[in-house]
Amino acid sequence: MDSIIDATAGSRQDRLLLRAEIDDFNAAYAAALDDGRLKDWPAFFTDDAFYLITSRENHDAGLPVGLVYCEGAGMLRDRAFAIEKTAMFAPRYLRHIVGTSRLLRGREDGTVEATANYLVLQTLFDRPESTIHQVGTYIDRFRRVDGVLKLQERRCVYDNLLVPNALVYPV
Amino acid sequence: MPWVQVASSGDVRESGALGVDVEGTPVALFRVDGAVYATHNICTHQFAFLSDGYVEDGCVECPLHQALFDIRTGKAKTAPASTDLRTFAAKEENGAVYVDLTRSAGEEAETPAGEPVAPAAGTGERLVILGAGQAGARAAEAMRQAGHAGPILLIGDEDEAPYERPPLSKELLLGTTTRESIRVLPAERLSSLNVGFCSGCRVTAIDRAARTVSLSYGSSVPYDKLLIATGARARRLPAPGADLPGVHHLRTIADAEALGAALTAAKRVVVIGAGFIGLEIASAARKLGAAVTILERADTPLERLLPPAAGRVLQALAEGQGVAFRFGVQVAAIRSDVVGLRVDCAGDDSVAADVVVVGIGTEANLELARDAGLAVADGIVVDGEGRTSDPAIFAAGDVAHYPTPINGRRCRLESWQHAQEQAIAAGRTMAGQETTYSRTPWFWTDQFDRNIQMIGLPSRDASVLVRGTAGEAGSVLYLLEGGTLSAAIAFDDPQAIRDARARIESGAPVDAASLGAAPLSSTVMSGAPTACAADGASAEEYSTMDHPQPNFRWPEEGLTRIPDWVYTDETIYKREVERIFHGRTWNYVALEAEIPNPGDHVRSNVGPTPVVVSRAEDGSINVFENRCAHRAAEFCRSLRGNAKEFVCPYHQWSYDLKGNLVGVPFRRGVDGKGGMPKDFRAQDHGLTQLTVTTHRGVVFASYASDMEPLADYLGPDILGEFEATFDGRPLKVLGYYRNTLPGNWKLYHENLKDPYHATLLHTFLVSFGLLVAGNRSLMLCDESGRHGVMASAKSDGKNVSQENKKEMRAYQEGMVLEEPRFVDYRPEFDSPWSVTMMTVWPNMIVQREMNTLGIRQIVPTGPNEFIMNWTMFGFEGDDDEMLRHRLRQGNLMGPAGFLGLEDNEAIKYVQDGMKNIPDGRHLVALDPATEAGTSDTLISESAIRAMYRHWRSVMDV
Repeated sequence: MDSIIDATAGSRQDRLLLRAEIDDFNAAYAAALDDGRLKDWPAFFTDDAFYLITSRENHDAGLPVGLVYCEGAGMLRDRAFAIEKTAMFAPRYLRHIVGTSRLLRGREDGTVEATANYLVLQTLFDRPESTIHQVGTYIDRFRRVDGVLKLQERRCVYDNLLVPNALVYPV
Repeated sequence: MPWVQVASSGDVRESGALGVDVEGTPVALFRVDGAVYATHNICTHQFAFLSDGYVEDGCVECPLHQALFDIRTGKAKTAPASTDLRTFAAKEENGAVYVDLTRSAGEEAETPAGEPVAPAAGTGERLVILGAGQAGARAAEAMRQAGHAGPILLIGDEDEAPYERPPLSKELLLGTTTRESIRVLPAERLSSLNVGFCSGCRVTAIDRAARTVSLSYGSSVPYDKLLIATGARARRLPAPGADLPGVHHLRTIADAEALGAALTAAKRVVVIGAGFIGLEIASAARKLGAAVTILERADTPLERLLPPAAGRVLQALAEGQGVAFRFGVQVAAIRSDVVGLRVDCAGDDSVAADVVVVGIGTEANLELARDAGLAVADGIVVDGEGRTSDPAIFAAGDVAHYPTPINGRRCRLESWQHAQEQAIAAGRTMAGQETTYSRTPWFWTDQFDRNIQMIGLPSRDASVLVRGTAGEAGSVLYLLEGGTLSAAIAFDDPQAIRDARARIESGAPVDAASLGAAPLSSTVMSGAPTACAADGASAEEYSTMDHPQPNFRWPEEGLTRIPDWVYTDETIYKREVERIFHGRTWNYVALEAEIPNPGDHVRSNVGPTPVVVSRAEDGSINVFENRCAHRAAEFCRSLRGNAKEFVCPYHQWSYDLKGNLVGVPFRRGVDGKGGMPKDFRAQDHGLTQLTVTTHRGVVFASYASDMEPLADYLGPDILGEFEATFDGRPLKVLGYYRNTLPGNWKLYHENLKDPYHATLLHTFLVSFGLLVAGNRSLMLCDESGRHGVMASAKSDGKNVSQENKKEMRAYQEGMVLEEPRFVDYRPEFDSPWSVTMMTVWPNMIVQREMNTLGIRQIVPTGPNEFIMNWTMFGFEGDDDEMLRHRLRQGNLMGPAGFLGLEDNEAIKYVQDGMKNIPDGRHLVALDPATEAGTSDTLISESAIRAMYRHWRSVMDV
């Protein structure tokens, strides 16, 4: 993948500001999930967003399945609602550690592609240790809606192919 | 707002329920004593349809946890429900049933023009009811419902609209219900029924000749027919100090509110009397955190009512929650000292308390009847219709001495059922509809976290049998007299009460064997920590700790019990690998679609053993151990790939695509030195090769060289379902999920042989209306019991979008999916089932969850954990929309699926439960009608039993 932002993305200062803005976005996104504010999570996406959690095995082989596969914000809201209201699972805390984002390119349609590595630590209430629940990278496309940065697409591609038991919350 | 026609009259039957959907609201319709009633169809405790429940005595019992609701009022009668059910106005006209969602059953219509008007004070006899408790109020209502048009007057001495008393010693004390929610009939309901209500009014005399009653006001009221429902009063403690502040008696709402406040503040509570009321108050006081001592004159609780051994079971239950008993205690006086109250017992003893509660029984209010010259025994003598010795006077409720259906015995009963049903019968008879009351007495009490129900008439002299461990949930005490069942007491087991009712009513002889019970020891030690055991109950029979060569002994009960060592023991696990995964089984290893070309290979497993699945130049598929014949190195490390040969990196031994050893470096040594022995033959040192078979693109391998064909291994029924999913269309792999699961591998098979869990664990399905009543289903087993298919049909497949839309309706308020299309079923299989979950012994699950398809491969890694590899697939030729539909629907399954994650969590819970409490056993007794094998009810564990019948024969345990 091209790691240098192309000329359409503007000046060096613009790029630094954009990257800072995306870092802020990711920090807010992680905070919402870490705080358990599941119902706030869909608002980080555009209405037509695509959200996928898949293994690096599938991603590299071009295989389309996802542990979570959502087309459109409605499906995101459905998942947030269903997990919160109907799902049965042991209580847990999650902590997202999101690395610095890396801008890939800006596109003619105004969207911006970026990535950031993430680490999701899970702590169950009856174990002393936190475990690395998922380690991976976000492959994102951002778009501005009314001036606000939103995810038009987020692919969470994880390296640890063996999911420890169950993945309850979004990544 | 309008009446909505919801059903035809014929569909709503006595003692049953009909679930209907009224403009998106799930409604249950009932018929009780001829009239239709409507309630919300979902239990207020947890999500379950009451229309699937059990209807009896004007109540409906939730199928999930047996909470009981009054159908007429929606009142929650027993734990675990504490919130009342919503009721809706219902009526019948011209053979159709109508419901009005905007009004509850109690509210009368705002009588628009043309509607029948609430009964006016028309012509007819003047009916007067003395006593405005549950019996009086129910009788008044029944009179109107039976069509009585004349005046009805209800006279009560409390300044309260009629209310029910059971909550007074339970929820009202704990503050978990309010005085308004325990009303039998609110005052507005009385006026809408046009029942005159005179509260705070005492009747002083009945003049039978003049047919009048005299009121304490000095006036008198005429009657044509009179109902005496004056109830009972709490017996006062006949000792000095009984009137001191802090000493409570309990009979009225006001008493209960005062006592509840006192208990909340109290640290030390003394209860005088170990009857039901005393025990319930003790239970409430313990819940509120007080230390509780019960003083009882007799030697056991409930001494006048129950055999001593049965009373001791209740004693043990209370003691298990910290209640102290003192028996043989006569209270001499209660006095007040500087730190509180002291209860002086005969002798020199005394007990300190902040609050003293007297619960020494009741005295029926019989004076009016006696003074009027009516026949009075222990109560007012009535016939089956409630008539006293004066045909113009009836009696109901606590005061009535009535003929029970049991051996012609007559008695007076103080119970909710009696106050309700016997009063209704009397009320209807007075209104001209002769109605006989002959119910078998039934009673319940909630104490110490148990719902205890009693059916029949107990007596002190009955002999007592017990099923289970007395006092524990699911246990039952059977009281036998003369070889027949006279009563039964069940702990958290309403089903046992129904069974016992049938036996009591039939009067057929019973014994320990026919009841599955054993004699209850009459020498239970008082102070036992929890409960007492039946004589002859065997001690836990097995402990791995003490036996280096464990003797795996299966429980004597047979297949309905599964011991924990099945899931946790290392020896058992090793034997499973040897006899099952490496034994005579076909193990799933791959799909042909993953290795279309020569040299293509994937890593896989047979049991825990790593294997390579490889396609050779001749197109054959080969499976061999991923373990170098030289030094055991697991040589193939990538998940999949294409190769001309396999080379172990450690010493460069090379194998061909069939696993034959081809090259050994320096086989003949260097310079004539070293090298392999002269007799080394490469053909003797290939990789361990397995037998391979394929069917419809699915590859299986076996360690047995002479395996029967797959079709015979599966049997015709399972093969048929296999071929319904793998229908000949070429498969297309869509991707993989992989997860670990900290549970025994067999639990996953059991999960899919356990249709019972589907609607209980997976509330997603029911919350969003995806699993609706009437879905057809089947739990299919092959003859050996090792394979299975759990199948269900979402709809008949016609008008699918229409059907889906209907089923998609939220059955719980606010539960609606924004994008429900992802759970659509698009018919594509030649099968009556929209969902089939197939377990192919020992390591494969075929998931056909509507249109999301996958194979799950079980890779055990020890007794306590396994890996699950999911290969999700579709078919070549799926268009883009079908592909995306499968992917969207994939949100249901897998380790992050709405259903999948719950199964994984539940299995972990099970293993955790065994880890920390050793030497236990599981109960798999559902559906005794099918000992093992195929069952067409979802509420069955017969497929699990079938699997263990097979497993035990292979494992020799």
